[in-house]
Amino acid sequence: MHLPDGIVSATVAAGGYVAAGGLTWGTLRIVRRENEDPRRLIPRASLLTAVFFVASLVHFPLPPASVHLTLSGLVGVMLGWLSFPAIVVGLFFQAAMFQHGGLTTLGVNACLMGIPALLSHGLFQLCHVFGRQKKSVNAVLGFLAGFGAVAISALFAALLLIYTIPEHLDAVSEKTAVIALSMAHLPVAVLEGVFTALLVLFLLRVKPELLETRK
Amino acid sequence: MRNACHGTNRICFVLLLMAISILLQVGIAGAHGVDLAVETVKGVAVTAAYSTGEPLAGAQVSVFSPEDPASPWLTGTCDESGRFFFVPDYNMPGTWDIQVRQAGHGGLIRVEVGEEGVAPPATNGLNTMQKALVTVSTVWGFVGTALFFSGRRGHASS
Repeated sequence: MHLPDGIVSATVAAGGYVAAGGLTWGTLRIVRRENEDPRRLIPRASLLTAVFFVASLVHFPLPPASVHLTLSGLVGVMLGWLSFPAIVVGLFFQAAMFQHGGLTTLGVNACLMGIPALLSHGLFQLCHVFGRQKKSVNAVLGFLAGFGAVAISALFAALLLIYTIPEHLDAVSEKTAVIALSMAHLPVAVLEGVFTALLVLFLLRVKPELLETRK
Repeated sequence: MRNACHGTNRICFVLLLMAISILLQVGIAGAHGVDLAVETVKGVAVTAAYSTGEPLAGAQVSVFSPEDPASPWLTGTCDESGRFFFVPDYNMPGTWDIQVRQAGHGGLIRVEVGEEGVAPPATNGLNTMQKALVTVSTVWGFVGTALFFSGRRGHASS
């Protein structure tokens, strides 16, 4: 899901930057409006950015490709609207330090991973509807948030790649490869779902205020 | 007796015809003979692997010459071990771009092709130690930021 440089056209890369810039601005505005002192969220945001940054180094060899953790669902659950700017920062460091994802595709990658994180946040907020303290509700929503973030990212990436295959490539074999790679993300999605659910249950027991994204 | 002699002449004539036709065939086949020659050329071999070391088997390769960076000069696919070999046109010196891609993974590598041969690209990969150091430093940056802001909060509340 980390698209490197040169995979998408300049138009798509520029579009990604515009969309990611707009979303960063919008989410930061919401954070400022919702919180009395948004700076109090910075320590948590910073630590979760570190988690996101390191998670991508954990690779699993799942033929035909190797896939890695993203934990964007967890970031979404614990940071809320701030997850989008956090993912932008995390992706920037991954691209700058390890050439994991490109700097030209930073905007596209931010949208591919940031938007699902925001969706996970929205999904997890449903526990206010179904019961904030109920273990089962937290576990199910935690799983769905972690699973959904990876699944939706993989789906976004697959759609983007299939609709932007350059003319000179063999479209059929590239499409097959894209679909195979997306399928390879399913086990990772399940794994992240389980991990997110376990962490949510743990936090609910020891420090439930960490699951509140407003201060 | 006359009949027998006539018969012999006929057989001779048929044999002659056969011999001529065989000779003709050999002659025609000779005109289609293929001369094989071998020369050694310098080419470019690209190996594509994921950062985990697994090869990008069957990945699509596009080679762009310096004269036309928009449309590929050559396209092909990597073999099972992620390798692709080609010989650039040495009449087009300059920077050749080789793009390898599979399911949105891949990258671009540049080689300098000159009159005297191909210059390998400078490697910019990190070894494990450097990677670990970079990871630790960056994570420490994030932790430091967190500590700084939580410290400020502590001061403000105290």
